Amino acid sequence: MLAVILYGLSMLYSVFLWRKGFRRDDHVNYFVLLMAFGLHTTAMVLRGFRLNHCPVTNLYEATTFAMWSIVAVCLVVGLWPRLRFLGAFASPILFGVGVFALMPNLDPLELTRTARPELSPAWTSVHAALMALSYGAFGLSSIAAVMYLTQEHNLKLHKLQAIFSVLPPIQRLEVVVARLLLSGFILLTVGLAIGAYDLTYLSNAQAYRGDPKIVWSALVWLIYLGLIVMRWKFAQGGRRFALGAIGSFAFVLLTFWGINVLSPLHNP
Amino acid sequence: MPLVVIGLSYRSAPVTLRERFAFAEARVPEALRQLRDSGAADEAVIVSTCNRVEIYAVSSLEPPGAFAALRDFLINSHDYREPLRDEIYSLSEPQSVHHLFKVASGLDSMVLGETEILGQLKKAYDVALQGGHTAGRLNKAFQRAFNVAKHIRTETNIQRGSVSVGSVAVELAEKIFNRLSERDVMVIGAGDTSEKAARALLSRGARSIIVTNRSHDKAVLLAQELGGRAVQFEDWAREFLNVDIVISSTSAPHYILDRAKLEPLMKSRRNRPLLLIDIAVPRDIEPEVNFMPNIFLYNIDDLQAIADAYLTQRKEEVVRCEQIIREKAQALLGPQAVPQPAREARPAFGGR
Repeated sequence: MLAVILYGLSMLYSVFLWRKGFRRDDHVNYFVLLMAFGLHTTAMVLRGFRLNHCPVTNLYEATTFAMWSIVAVCLVVGLWPRLRFLGAFASPILFGVGVFALMPNLDPLELTRTARPELSPAWTSVHAALMALSYGAFGLSSIAAVMYLTQEHNLKLHKLQAIFSVLPPIQRLEVVVARLLLSGFILLTVGLAIGAYDLTYLSNAQAYRGDPKIVWSALVWLIYLGLIVMRWKFAQGGRRFALGAIGSFAFVLLTFWGINVLSPLHNP
Repeated sequence: MPLVVIGLSYRSAPVTLRERFAFAEARVPEALRQLRDSGAADEAVIVSTCNRVEIYAVSSLEPPGAFAALRDFLINSHDYREPLRDEIYSLSEPQSVHHLFKVASGLDSMVLGETEILGQLKKAYDVALQGGHTAGRLNKAFQRAFNVAKHIRTETNIQRGSVSVGSVAVELAEKIFNRLSERDVMVIGAGDTSEKAARALLSRGARSIIVTNRSHDKAVLLAQELGGRAVQFEDWAREFLNVDIVISSTSAPHYILDRAKLEPLMKSRRNRPLLLIDIAVPRDIEPEVNFMPNIFLYNIDDLQAIADAYLTQRKEEVVRCEQIIREKAQALLGPQAVPQPAREARPAFGGR
């Protein structure tokens, strides 16, 4: 809860930074995020010890784990001053997703871990962790894409803010978007492969072939594959690629909860 | 013994007069020796640049006497016999110290906040130091001036941003491209401003330069000067595939680059970003191309607007810089120094 409040504070401060045109080095926001990250990590560790397993087994845990990975990457990347504003762009998403994760229905403690006892606990945890990490990487790539579009828009319209801000060059931002997206895709692919392998522990695995979450995951995988192919094979970089990264993550963000509710495998 | 300054700058005298009073670099050590031998100064530094000629001195004479002696030295050493009004100014403490700090920080420069003057001031001081023409008082004042300049550079935005069209072009390129060292530049038309912009890009590490011009001889000449390569004007489109930055300044009465030409070229370039700088009047590049993906077009007015905005920003910083200078001058001169809000230059004893 405290971490989400700090993400909210960071979001408010980000609005201030945006109004000021991202002109000065962003230490304040970095330290607010660092404090939030400390609280977030503590909460996850305490929960892990309390439940005696990696906290990635229900929607609340998966969401907070993805958030945690986004903040961790923001803090590491933020060690380079020109990429420090990534945190300022991330905080609105962190706050929004954080408020969503705190909704009580998302955290039915009795359903954690005991939902599918016939599945391998280890593989299930690895699968869930990789999926959460991949969504974190996709989230970050969309945040970097927003930075790209902001700077590209300002440069196109000859706004002074484009020159006065200390945002990185747009070509570097595009590379950041592409690398994060590729990392997320690799994590997603491995996570899905492990999830598929984990299903073999079920006696009636075939019954879940049409599970909405499985179909949805395959669709997400195809969307990101399409984006990657478009960029590397057909040179569709720049604005279109950035819009694709944002649109794809928006799709994940907006459908994730609904698909989980509909999935008997993930929400028994 | 107080520190005094006497001299003339672009603020007080036109270039025709400044050039008459300039000290050639090789002549400065001898001039310093003569100045001290004349008894006008015990310690002295002569600063002679295109925008100012100033003598910083510490003299055992009272300030009015020191000013008269320094003025005579300045005039006689250049054998100047024409009448003068208030072109030569003179300052005593604490204004002289304020002035030194302002000069070192670029606050008294024609291009506000520029850093070249600091290098020139350091060089002038070094010449005087090597010749044994400085001692405790001037050494302390100049060392402090260099510290103040550094402090102002790091604590304020007075030196931030580009105030010339050439350096704005560089800054734009740095906002678009990851590394300038991997970028190739094409200059279409061998104009003066495009040459400056190209030089600025090269000085910041641009990888190579291609020059093309209707008169191939001019292109070859400019390419040689810039260390680049000249291509025939008819062949520029073929080279275009490999360049990232185009500076255009031809005298063509129509657009030489338009959407129809650029669309197939961008496909061949696999949509890599392209910065187009159009400094021609009338314009060389159709404004419509700015709406194409991955193309960023700036004309001369756009560049000038950015340069002007930076200059305005620098001017807004002057108050902060002067506050720092007042504090530092007071720290150097002690509590007896009355802080002055701004330099009040006064003519050195009327005309001659």
